[in-house]
Amino acid sequence: MKGRVASSVLALAAGLGFATAALADGEYAGVTIEAKLIGGQQYEALYARIADWEKATGAKVNIISQKNHFELDKEYKADIAAGTTSWCVGSNHSSFAPQYPDLFTDLTPLVPAESVAGFVPANITAATINGKLTMLPRAQFDVSALYYQKSLYADPAKAEAFKTKFGYDLAVPETWDQFRDQAEFFAAPPNFYGTQYAGKDEAINGRFYELVVANGGKMFNDDMSPAFNSAAGKEALQWFVDLYKAGAVPPGTTNYLWDDLGNGFASGTIALNLDWPGWSGFFNDPAASKVAGNVGVAPAPKGSAGVRTGWSGFHGFSVTEGCATKEAAASLVDFLTNEDSQKLESAAGPLPSRTAVWAYVKDQAKADPYKTEVLAAFEETAKTAFPVPPTPYWIESGNLIFPELQAAILGDKTVDQALQDASDAVDSLMKENGVY
Amino acid sequence: MFRAKLPPWLVLLLPAFIIILAVVAIPLILSLYSSFTPYHLTRPDTLWKWTGSFNYIKAASDANFWKAFGRTVLLLTIALNTEMLLGLGLALMVSKVTRGQRALRTAMMFPMMFSPILVGFQFKFIFNDNVGLVNNALQSLGLTDVAIPWLVDGNLAMFAIIFAEVWTSTSVFAILILAGLFAIPQDPLEAAKVDGCTPWQSFRFVTLPFLMPFIYIAMAIRSLDVARAYDIVQVMTNGGPARRTELLWTLIGRTGYVDARMGYANAMGYIAILMSIGFTIYFFLKLQTARRELGMGEM
Repeated sequence: MKGRVASSVLALAAGLGFATAALADGEYAGVTIEAKLIGGQQYEALYARIADWEKATGAKVNIISQKNHFELDKEYKADIAAGTTSWCVGSNHSSFAPQYPDLFTDLTPLVPAESVAGFVPANITAATINGKLTMLPRAQFDVSALYYQKSLYADPAKAEAFKTKFGYDLAVPETWDQFRDQAEFFAAPPNFYGTQYAGKDEAINGRFYELVVANGGKMFNDDMSPAFNSAAGKEALQWFVDLYKAGAVPPGTTNYLWDDLGNGFASGTIALNLDWPGWSGFFNDPAASKVAGNVGVAPAPKGSAGVRTGWSGFHGFSVTEGCATKEAAASLVDFLTNEDSQKLESAAGPLPSRTAVWAYVKDQAKADPYKTEVLAAFEETAKTAFPVPPTPYWIESGNLIFPELQAAILGDKTVDQALQDASDAVDSLMKENGVY
Repeated sequence: MFRAKLPPWLVLLLPAFIIILAVVAIPLILSLYSSFTPYHLTRPDTLWKWTGSFNYIKAASDANFWKAFGRTVLLLTIALNTEMLLGLGLALMVSKVTRGQRALRTAMMFPMMFSPILVGFQFKFIFNDNVGLVNNALQSLGLTDVAIPWLVDGNLAMFAIIFAEVWTSTSVFAILILAGLFAIPQDPLEAAKVDGCTPWQSFRFVTLPFLMPFIYIAMAIRSLDVARAYDIVQVMTNGGPARRTELLWTLIGRTGYVDARMGYANAMGYIAILMSIGFTIYFFLKLQTARRELGMGEM
């Protein structure tokens, strides 16, 4: 038995080529790691590998909670409040991480430097909060690219009508202004819409944020005072308002979240759809999608400042400060984010966060033109992607901003009034919390 | 050896005292205390910072809070009255059924057996503007050719939420009123018939006064229920869009658990509880009056 374990460790080590020191035979025998992990079908394949780590190290992993990130977020906050943070490994997300500055430990002294060096540098920068490497990213890197129905661009009658109306050739949009023109042009409600957008919670906030950046603005100043009530911010919000007013989006779009968008595009009733990489397989699956075989994927369009939108985030794993066996916990985190783990996870579609796995995934997709197109679009978008602003108040301020964005979209307020109100609310939130 | 001797009555009551202290009193005092602090879930040390009435003043001067408060009162008023009228009608009809009444009564309670979360999802789908049953039916029947934004328009969204509430809880009224109908003595009704009263007059001046105590009990129970409406609304609209369907508890829930501002959420919660207490007192006073009119004396 021991021989088998040793040989499997060797095989594993040979496959990894790094961080092998962490997986010494039976090194953590008798240790039990309690973990809180994100739950969901798309994340389960990776967890099957936990048994391999247990076998190699002699430790045991006890998953004590499995929920989506919004629920885990609430649970972490309750844990911090109750002081019950002695569990060891937790799923984390770059958008949520700044909220728990003291919950998770710095992984730098616990993980081999060569292992950290294998990640895409921008991901490691985003995972570093107040100088602490709070998580290692798994192969769940998210940035949005443009999905579209190819047939719309192959119709000469449409192309001619579009040119007559707008004065330029109909082609896959490269800017958000072109995107708006085309969404309005393709829309034929109530059966077909030009586009759709997530209309509530962090989802619309993120979209607004990336559009502000693409228009040359920013969400917060360096002291974290609100900066979105600017020309770039107004231009960004006006884009949402214009599409809604023109009837180019479904009237219920302000209630939509990611699932509504994914299912909407797959139903064939949406022309253009800015969405995440995880949907690429679903959209082109004839059993699930009416647009299968007709899906084109292009890099995210650019804003008025010539900057591509690129609000990005990623899932990762962290180790708590209160964990009694940090080395063993860090070894598990390192294992779950190593090359083999990322190859396994990205085989199903999600984007990796390790440089070497990007090359591997592209190589694997060579024979499949659709997959190659998807990867090329997302790789191009990822080049200029940016994470959420590094403030623990990102989610909290977002809850003050998004109802104001909705108010402008639905016509309850003007763009100026909505942004002024949102800015005032965020300003008092920051002041109340002593940020400045 | 000294052994403290507690009086037997205290020993017998002690378990109840301890349980009430642990489950009700201590959490209540702690939450009341935290409403005077800037308590933030992710910063436990903020629990020890006393800020006096800051949270209460903040809530009292926040227009969004009062709008949510008003909307909750509106929801309560419309939902309660609609449920009462429908429940009364249902109970009157069921009371006339001679065969299969038991099966009918059981069937009437079906909506109450569904989890409110599932009811929320069910109506969210039914009222969806793009793929929902209502819009598809209206469009197929040729009654409209636009996608009606049921969960987006302020009035329609409140209607959809009230519809879901009424669907799920009308049977509470129906069952309680039915119990009242069975308890009505037949003599006054027969006397009314002999005196030549019309069916409407019998109902208005004999049956209804007998039913009023039951109606007020149902009102008191449901007012507490609706005043803490959260699950159905959370699923259907989450208080949005643009705060158009924001109720007290969606606002308080988001502030406490998503924004982690538990001190402020607790202050809002205590103001909201005042409303529930107000409605309960109102219905109990009405109940007392109704009982007095029936000669049932003071409660």
